[in-house]
Amino acid sequence: MNSFFRKLSWLAQRRRKDDELREELQFHLDAEAEQQGLPEQEARYAARRELGNLTRLREETRSAWGWTTLEQFAQDLRYAFRTMGANKLFSLLAILSLALGIGANTAIYSFMDAILLRSLPVSDPGSLALMNWRAKQVRWGTFVLHSINGGWYDDPDGGATSGIFPFPAFELFQKADSAFSAVFAYRRARRLNVAVKGQAYLASAEYVSGDYFRGLAVPPDAGRLIIPDDDRVGAPPVAVVSFAFSQRSFGGPANAAGQSVLINNVPFVIAGVTPPGFFGVDPAAAPDVFLPLHLDLLVESASQYGTKAEEYLDKNFYWIEVMGRLRPGVSLTQAQATLAPAFANWVAGTASTDVERANLPWLVLKPGAAGLESLRRRYSRPLYVLMALVGLILAIACANVASLLLARAAARRREIALRLSVGAGRFRVVRQLLTESVLLASLGGVVGIGFAVWGMRFLTLLLANGNADFTLHAELNWHVLGVAVALSLLTGVLFGLAPAVQATRLDVISAMKETRAGQQAARHPSWRISLSHVLVVGQIAISLLMLVAAALFVRTLTNLQSIDVGFNRENLLLFNLNAHQAGRQSAEIAGFYGDLLKQFKSIPGVREASLSNHSLINAGFGLGHSIPGKKPNPADRMLVIGPSFFKTMQIPMVAGREIDERDLPGSQPVAVISEQFAKVNFGSENPIGRHVILSGRRDHPETSRDLLIVGIATNARYGGLKREVPPVLYIPYNQGFPQPEEMVFELRTAGDPLAYVNTVREIVRQADTRVPLSNVRTQVAEIDQTINQEIIFAELCTAFAILALVIACVGLYGTVSYNVERRTGEIGIRMALGAKRARVVRMILVQVLALAAVGLVIGVSVAFGASKLVASFLFGMKPNDPIAITAAVVILLAAAALAGYAPARRASRIDPMVALRHE
Amino acid sequence: MIQKPATRVEFLQGTLDLLILRTLLAGASHGHAIAKHIQRTSEDLLQVETGSLYPALHRLEAKGWISASWELSDKGKRAKCYHLTALGRKKLVTEQSKWKAFARAMGLILNPVIEEGQ
Repeated sequence: MNSFFRKLSWLAQRRRKDDELREELQFHLDAEAEQQGLPEQEARYAARRELGNLTRLREETRSAWGWTTLEQFAQDLRYAFRTMGANKLFSLLAILSLALGIGANTAIYSFMDAILLRSLPVSDPGSLALMNWRAKQVRWGTFVLHSINGGWYDDPDGGATSGIFPFPAFELFQKADSAFSAVFAYRRARRLNVAVKGQAYLASAEYVSGDYFRGLAVPPDAGRLIIPDDDRVGAPPVAVVSFAFSQRSFGGPANAAGQSVLINNVPFVIAGVTPPGFFGVDPAAAPDVFLPLHLDLLVESASQYGTKAEEYLDKNFYWIEVMGRLRPGVSLTQAQATLAPAFANWVAGTASTDVERANLPWLVLKPGAAGLESLRRRYSRPLYVLMALVGLILAIACANVASLLLARAAARRREIALRLSVGAGRFRVVRQLLTESVLLASLGGVVGIGFAVWGMRFLTLLLANGNADFTLHAELNWHVLGVAVALSLLTGVLFGLAPAVQATRLDVISAMKETRAGQQAARHPSWRISLSHVLVVGQIAISLLMLVAAALFVRTLTNLQSIDVGFNRENLLLFNLNAHQAGRQSAEIAGFYGDLLKQFKSIPGVREASLSNHSLINAGFGLGHSIPGKKPNPADRMLVIGPSFFKTMQIPMVAGREIDERDLPGSQPVAVISEQFAKVNFGSENPIGRHVILSGRRDHPETSRDLLIVGIATNARYGGLKREVPPVLYIPYNQGFPQPEEMVFELRTAGDPLAYVNTVREIVRQADTRVPLSNVRTQVAEIDQTINQEIIFAELCTAFAILALVIACVGLYGTVSYNVERRTGEIGIRMALGAKRARVVRMILVQVLALAAVGLVIGVSVAFGASKLVASFLFGMKPNDPIAITAAVVILLAAAALAGYAPARRASRIDPMVALRHE
Repeated sequence: MIQKPATRVEFLQGTLDLLILRTLLAGASHGHAIAKHIQRTSEDLLQVETGSLYPALHRLEAKGWISASWELSDKGKRAKCYHLTALGRKKLVTEQSKWKAFARAMGLILNPVIEEGQ
C-alpha cells in the first residue's frame, strides 16, 4: 500500500524523476571515468562502454517506478482521442446515438419504476391487502350496486372490478380481526377551501377512517395523527396536513400542529403533520389534508352533493375504499378465505330482486404494497410502448456503433500491420483498439446520464401537462443506467474486439502490400462487409418501424385535433370559483356569480362571459328527469349554464333562443337542448315549447321543476373529444336545483386569454377574499390536456423516428462511403475503360437502394404485425393505415437515397488517372 | 588497473537485492560506490552490471526497503545516496537467513563426502 502511494507521488513528479535519473547516471559515468585513470576522452568512452545502452537502461530503471501500464494507457487514450478527432462526424454521431439510447431508456424506465414497481413508503408494505370486488357484469337496475361514488374497471375477460364498497361492508371487514390487525377506509374528497390566517387555499383532501394511520403504520412528523376517537359524529373537528402543505402554509410542521384553520368555513384544529414522502395510498394523488371520515357530514353539510348521514347505512351505495394490514403469519390467500364467505353472505343480503341475486359481486384481496392502481392503469400501457420504442433506439445505436467500429477496423488494417511489423505486441494492439471502443461507449454513457436527467425532467413536464398537483416524481434509476451503459460497453468491446483480434492475426506482409485498388476481396471473403450490411439492413428495418409508429401517432393527433368541437376554442379563458366552500350561503351564490359576470364583461377586451357547472370538454353530469309522454333516456346529459353561454362559446342556435338575462330566479323555468337531444327524444317533432321535468333532490321533492324548452343549439363536444356526443340538456344556474357551487367561468377575450388573468383575480379578490381563483387555463390548453397522451406520443415518436432515421442514414452513408473508398481502383479502371459518370452513380445508388429495400421488406412485415399492439392508442384509423405506412416508406427511401447519393457522387468524381496511379 | 577476472560468477535471481541491502548496512552510499564495493569485496568475482544495478535500486526504493537523498560527494558533486530503511533492515535479516539456508542446502547436496568426512 505504502509503495503504491510512493509510486503515485512519483507519478505526480514524473519530470523531476526523469531529470534525477539522468543526473544519477551521469554521476555514475563521471565516477567510472575518473576511476579508470585514463585520459579524459578515453575514460569517458570506456565508462560508456561499461554502462551499455544508456537509453535502454533508463527505460528499464523507469519501469521499476511501476507506471508503464498507466503510461501506456494514457498513450492509448490520447491516441484514441486523436482517432476520434480524425473521424469527428462518425464519432460524434456514435456517441450521440449511444447517449440518446442510454438516456431515453433510463428516463423511461425510471418512470416505469416509479409508477409500476415502487412500494408505498410505509413500513412493511408487503402485509397490506387491498379489498376489491369483482362481478361478471355491472348493469344498472340488475345489480346490487345502485349508486356509486367512483367507478369500476372492465376486466379483459368481460367482468368488472372495483375497489369501492358501501360503508356497512367496511364494518363487516373490521370484524375480521383474526386475519387483520387493522382495517381502514378512505375516500378522496373534492378539493377543499382551507383558510389559514385569512388566506384561502384550495387543498386536495382525503377522508380517512380512524385506523388509517395506525394501519399504514405511519408516525407523525409533528403533533399526532388521526385516531379512531376522531372519527365519529360529534367529535371535535381535527385535521392532519401533509408535510408539504405544512411548509407551504405554515412554514414548517412544528408551526402547523395545534393551529386553527377554517375548512370549507368549518373551524378545525390541525392535530398533526404526516412525515415527508408520505402521499397516502395512491401514488397519483398526494392529499394536502387528511380529515376523519365521519367529518364529511360536517364539512359538506351545506353542499347539495355532500355525504348524507343515511349514506353510512345504505348497503347499495358504494363510495369508500378499504385496505387491511394482515396479521403476522397470515397470508393473502388465508385472509381471502376468511373474508370472502362473510362478504358473500353479507352482499347476498343486500340484493332485493332475483336478478340482483343472480349476479352478486365476490370479494378479491389484492396486494396493497404498491398502493392503488389508478396510475398504473393509466400509464402502464403507454409506458410499455415507449419502453419498446426507446429499446429500439438503443438497438439501433448499438448497431450503428458496431458498424462504425467494423468499418474503422477494416480501414486500419494497414496501420495495424505496420504496428505489428515494427514489433508491437499483439496484446498491446488489441488493448489499443479496445481502449478506443470502450472510450466511445463510456463517453456515450456519460452524455447519456445527462440526457437521462434532462429527459426525466421533460417527461415529468409532459406527463404533468400543467397539472399543478402532479405528484409523481421519478428518481434516476441507477440500475437501468448501469444496464444501458453496460450494454453499450458490451457492444463496444464485442465489435471493437472481434475486428481487433482478426486484424492482429493478419498476415503482415500481405496487409502491408495491400493497395487501395483491389483490397484482396477475392482472397479474404470479407465477412466484415456482409456483417456491416446486416447491421445497416437492421437499422433501416428498425427505423422504418419507428417511422410507422410516428406516422400512426401523428395521424392520430391530427385526427383528434381536426375534430370539430362544436364551439370556438380560441381566445377563451377558463377558471373555477367556489363561493360555496368559502362559506357563502346557497341562496346568495347565484347573485354573487351574476355580479361577477357583469364585472368580467366590463373588462376592456372581454367580449362575452358566462359560466357552467363543468367545462364542456370535461363535463359528465346528469340528474333524474323525464319528458311527458316519452321513455326516459339514460344517455341524456346535462350542463348547468349562465346567460349568454352559447354566445360566449360561439355555439350556433338552430332554433329558438338561448338562455339570457331574461331568465331569472322566479321566472318561467327554461332549458335549451342540443340537436342530438332533440333528435333522440323528440324525433321529427318540434321540441320548442315542450317540457322536461327535472326530478330535483331526492330528499327535497319540492325542488322538482317543469322546464320549458326555448331553444335548440348545435351539437358541441361534451365530456371529451373521443366520446360520441351525447344528448345534452342545458339548464340555467339561477332557477333552483341544482344550486351553483363550484362553477367554471368562461371569458371570450380579444387577444391572449391569459393576459386577463390578473384583472380577473383582482376583481374576485375585491368581491370576496375568501374565494380563490383556481384551475386557470385556456380552452385550447384544456382540450390539449384531454389528448395529452396522444400529444406526448406524437411528439416523442416523431423525435425518436427522426433520431432513428438519422442514425440509420449515417450507418448507410458510412458503409457506402467505405465501400466506395475500397473500390476506388476498380471504379477508376471502369471509368478509364469508358464508364460514364451517371453509370457509376447509378451503380452505387442501386447498391444503396438494394440495402434499403431489404430493410424495408423486413420493416414493413414487422410493422404489419406490431402496429396491432398500439391499436388502442389510435384514433380515426386502422393500425395498418396505408397512408402512415406509405409515408414511412417514402420518407425512408428518400433519406436512404440522400445518404447514398453523396458517396455515389464522390465515386463518379474519381479521376481514373489518380486512382490507377495510386496502385 | 583494468584487470578483468578470468572467471566471473553470474548473479543468481534475487541475489543482487540482498547484496545491495548488505552493502548499505555499512552506511549510505551511491550507485557507483555500491557496485564497486560489491566487486571489491567479492574479489572481483561478482561484477555488478550497471544495467541491472539501477533498476534494482529504483525497485527497492519503490518497495520502501531503501530510501534516497541527494548529497554532495567528496568531489563536491551532487550524488544520489541510498540508505537502508527500518523495513529494509528487517528484510535484510530475513533475506540473509533465507540465503544462508539455501547455501547450506546447496552445500549439503554438492559436497556430501566432505560433510561426512568431518
